[in-house]
Amino acid sequence: MSNLFRFYGRFAVNTFRKRKLRSLLTMLGIFIGIAAIVSLISLGQGLQTAIAAQFQALGTDRIIIQPKSALFAPPGQLSVTQLSEADLDRIEDVPGVARVASRLLKNAKIEYNDQVKFHLVASMPDKADGRRLVEESLRLTAAKGRLIESGDRKKVVVGNSFLDKDLFGRAIKTGDSILINDETFRVVGILEKLGNPGFDDAVLIPEKAMQELYNVPGEVSAIIAQSAPGLVPEEVGDRIARRLRTFRDVDEGKEDFTVQTTGELLDAFENILNVVTAVLVGIAFISLLVGGIGITNTMYTSVLERTNDIGVMKAIGAKNKDVLFIFMFESGLLGLVGGTIGVLIGYGFGKIVEFGAAQALGSGLIQAAFPPYLIIGSLAFSFIVGGIAGTLPAIQASRMNPVDALRHS
Amino acid sequence: MLKDEFRYAAKFLTHRKLRSWLTMLGIFIGIAAVVALVSLSQGLQVAIEEQFAKIGTDKIIISPKGAFSAGLESDVTQLTLRDKKRVEDVPSIDEVAVYLTTVGRLSLDDENIPVFVGSLPSDDSRQLVRDLYTADLEQGRTFREGEAKIIIGDDFVRTRVLERELRLGDKILLNDVQFEVIGVMERIGDPGIDGGVLMDEKQFRDLFEIDDDNAGTLIARVQGSANIDLVAERIERSLRNGRGLDAGKEDFSVQTPEDLIATFNTIFAIVQAVLIGIAAISLLVGGIGITNTMYTAVLERTNEIGVMKAIGARNEDVLRLFLFESGLLGLIGGAIGVALGMGIAKMVEILATQAFGTPLIQASFPIYLIVGALMFAFVVGIASGVLPAYQAAKLQPVEALRYE
Repeated sequence: MSNLFRFYGRFAVNTFRKRKLRSLLTMLGIFIGIAAIVSLISLGQGLQTAIAAQFQALGTDRIIIQPKSALFAPPGQLSVTQLSEADLDRIEDVPGVARVASRLLKNAKIEYNDQVKFHLVASMPDKADGRRLVEESLRLTAAKGRLIESGDRKKVVVGNSFLDKDLFGRAIKTGDSILINDETFRVVGILEKLGNPGFDDAVLIPEKAMQELYNVPGEVSAIIAQSAPGLVPEEVGDRIARRLRTFRDVDEGKEDFTVQTTGELLDAFENILNVVTAVLVGIAFISLLVGGIGITNTMYTSVLERTNDIGVMKAIGAKNKDVLFIFMFESGLLGLVGGTIGVLIGYGFGKIVEFGAAQALGSGLIQAAFPPYLIIGSLAFSFIVGGIAGTLPAIQASRMNPVDALRHS
Repeated sequence: MLKDEFRYAAKFLTHRKLRSWLTMLGIFIGIAAVVALVSLSQGLQVAIEEQFAKIGTDKIIISPKGAFSAGLESDVTQLTLRDKKRVEDVPSIDEVAVYLTTVGRLSLDDENIPVFVGSLPSDDSRQLVRDLYTADLEQGRTFREGEAKIIIGDDFVRTRVLERELRLGDKILLNDVQFEVIGVMERIGDPGIDGGVLMDEKQFRDLFEIDDDNAGTLIARVQGSANIDLVAERIERSLRNGRGLDAGKEDFSVQTPEDLIATFNTIFAIVQAVLIGIAAISLLVGGIGITNTMYTAVLERTNEIGVMKAIGARNEDVLRLFLFESGLLGLIGGAIGVALGMGIAKMVEILATQAFGTPLIQASFPIYLIVGALMFAFVVGIASGVLPAYQAAKLQPVEALRYE
């Protein structure tokens, strides 16, 4: 058996050597296609892994409760019904809930250095354990100064992008004063860069100050709950939903609020990302199809050129099956070699995009990932594409009548 | 002049029929993909630009900053009736309308859903707001001043947002107050409008407790002859002065439809470039296929080339012969590809129309796309044939004749 394969291999390699240019061009078609697919999948995978890691860090035991809103909008903004501190109390009492925190989000007019910007402002809970939950969930750490603490009043912590001169024409420093809805707040801290525009733009002020600023005592935009260790967050989430339904007197399926665990959020996100990757890979796949057609074409030419050889092989006893294998093996090898170069180029390309994105975005969000299944899968796939592309020419070769084949010139 | 070249190429294409077909297959798959993608994205762009055009290029929209979505009330700042007066006083302004929007709670049976609610003015400026919606009435009529009646979007008659289909004459609750459905708007594919409701401005102010001075969003119509960008600038200056604000500290925004289209087009162009860029890879692969076929063709016809040269063909004649042949491979592949791409785009259009219930995705085939795709395929063919043709042209006649 191994002798036979050595023979197939030598036969194929001989043709490649003899028709070097043609073989190279044929493989070029395959490796461009494979390179495109490998780099797209690796970037899609990498993005998914990076995001899953962010969710992991955020903790899979978190449950987010928000009022149902009309369209995609920050929590609690485009909704009719609001959550309140009364809901927060109900959730705190649900068995299995370890910690809860409420958040209030509002749009605000922010003025600094005589320039005005409109920006989302978020509250930080007054109670220490709730605040800690928010800090851990969003991985907030101070790059300069400190975070919001209990007892703070007109204090503000801003995201890392406020260090950018372009935002207000001057970088914000701790100790500066900024105007939020025409009231003065002192900057006590600047957050570490998180690489997520939503959080890097954050403006955080104490809960009390926020409720006074907007005159909305007791209003809540979203609630974060943490399920106790050892419990399934989804089950705790169901319990919270049941409790809130009773409290708010709504039937199941008619809720005016949503309860989602971080795991469910991650799933929803991965679904969208999968669809996008599938569309892009699908389009890239067309080039692999075209590359496969190139192999078919080369193999037909190859069979035509070697009609005499085939005649001789058959005359000295080669069976149809043998001839079929020889040509299938040759076209499979064309695919495999093309695929190998393609994987290498795709790897390089993915790494270049990763590097370029890290430079441009300043965060490691886009990572090229190369799991073994991607590399092995691409190689196996390119071999199969080659084999399939060679099927028709190989069948044609195997069915040749030895006498006609010998007479051909 | 090219008759001989054409005959020579055609002879070869028919002689090596299978190989020629497979080579062209590579090109036409690539061209079909590019044509289908371009035509669909062009169609989408045209459809959206038409929506903007329906709003009218003579409208300027002035809204308070700090709202999450255009038209929704802001937490932070407000426009007032005095601002409306200021806009009216700007030269070249014909008419100014007040447009209020919010999210209300719609109840029917035991369902409660959030819904976008917009107001229509009672006076003559009503048409100005209607223009913004771009949807005509499909059934029923509009309400008169002060009537507790609403016009609903198309989603409500299709159980897209509620479990029960609404009909004219049905009564629903909005924030616990009863309203009668008096009209239905046609479907336009914008979820905010198809899933929203419209009511009289007086009713709106009472229901949502909007104080009389709040002017929501202002819509201004500019006289036909005026330069809209200049008028927009004048409005900005007048409001800034009136509200006592320095430049750069505006708490309102003034937008013309052109501004909105420009933003949209920028985003769209990037998405389009990525998709078509990836699809173009297959065209590159198809071009390599042509190069390969042409090298084989040159090799097979080495003897013929020798004969041609022996009887006086110059290098440039041989070059032109082979370039023409590869160009023809590209062109025929391109022609089939264009036809196939148009077919695919039309199919997607039909499927999308059925799925979304609105003709938002239209395949569009501007002349430049068809002619451009054909030219491009021809150029790809010629470019792919350059190296093989050059090799053929360079052959030494004696050696070519001796070749076996």
